[in-house]
Amino acid sequence: MGDSIFKVPGGKLLKIKLTPSEDRIRAIVIKGDFFLHPEETLVALEEFLAGKELDEIYLAADIQDFLDEAGAKLVGAGAADIAKAILMAK
Amino acid sequence: MEEFRFLELCVHNAYENMAVDEAITLAMKEGEAPPTLRLYRWRPSAVSIGTFQGMTDEVDLKYCRLNKIDYIRRITGGGAVYHDFDGEVTYSLIVPKGHRLAPPDILKSYRIICGGIIEALEHLKIKSKFRPINDVVTDGKKISGNAQTRRNLCVLQHGTTLLDLDVEVMFSILKVPKEKISDKMIQDVKKSVTSIREILDRHVEVDELGNALEAGFSKALKIDLVPGALMAREWADAQRLMKEKYSTTKWNLSR
Repeated sequence: MGDSIFKVPGGKLLKIKLTPSEDRIRAIVIKGDFFLHPEETLVALEEFLAGKELDEIYLAADIQDFLDEAGAKLVGAGAADIAKAILMAK
Repeated sequence: MEEFRFLELCVHNAYENMAVDEAITLAMKEGEAPPTLRLYRWRPSAVSIGTFQGMTDEVDLKYCRLNKIDYIRRITGGGAVYHDFDGEVTYSLIVPKGHRLAPPDILKSYRIICGGIIEALEHLKIKSKFRPINDVVTDGKKISGNAQTRRNLCVLQHGTTLLDLDVEVMFSILKVPKEKISDKMIQDVKKSVTSIREILDRHVEVDELGNALEAGFSKALKIDLVPGALMAREWADAQRLMKEKYSTTKWNLSR
């Protein structure tokens, strides 16, 4: 179980609670003062990330793909910022 | 000028305030509610957190309970806000999706709607400007924070404009480890946040800010504010949402 707090430069704060399983995500909670439209996308993203490898580049791409497919807009943080914050919590 | 329903400055508790906002979006989705601007205060004073924040991460619940301060999760993102009954006025602007005040570009719509606050402050002889993503600042210091959600075929933006600021109380409510509340931290906040009373160095009444917001939104957004009231179905939805959602631990402590 690991935590991280990452202030996105010029953006918002990301707070991650990560339960890793070896080099993968077992469970994750993403908190912070960012905006995501529609808001319900966040829980779906957390579920989507379960089982993913803890690799910053792959995670950033996966998160971006997920948001694009969901037609979601992240404001105050980007997919790469979430990936970075996740790795910080490892 | 385009007409908006105007719900004049009124007082509710935290649960009613957030439930009314959502109830209006539900009625608007059905084509029953017109574009609406409402002004309101919070009694008892309350802290609201962004929809993605952790309540116990951000708020000292024990302090809130001891001091009769309500705490609530908003449906909008953004950060924690202390809504002091005597220290701020909150607005909510609700328009149907596709309305000229809420273009698809979210930052652009923040900029447009925050124009109402900038004009209101101008009305009070305070120069301010929009600072992306969602703030209004004067002399580089935040004086208004805003948050937006897009749901129920509507865009809802609400925000606070600070009339007064008690940094010590704010730090007691927000969960900053007490040992870390140094004089320097308090000074840092005082350098980054300000209020109308601090700038004007006089006791500006809540109603004066309310009137300025009414005039400011009307002028900046080119809308005619027609005094109105909630419809019966909106009030019924608000009562239901208050009971089933906003006053529940399940919602407020969901993260």
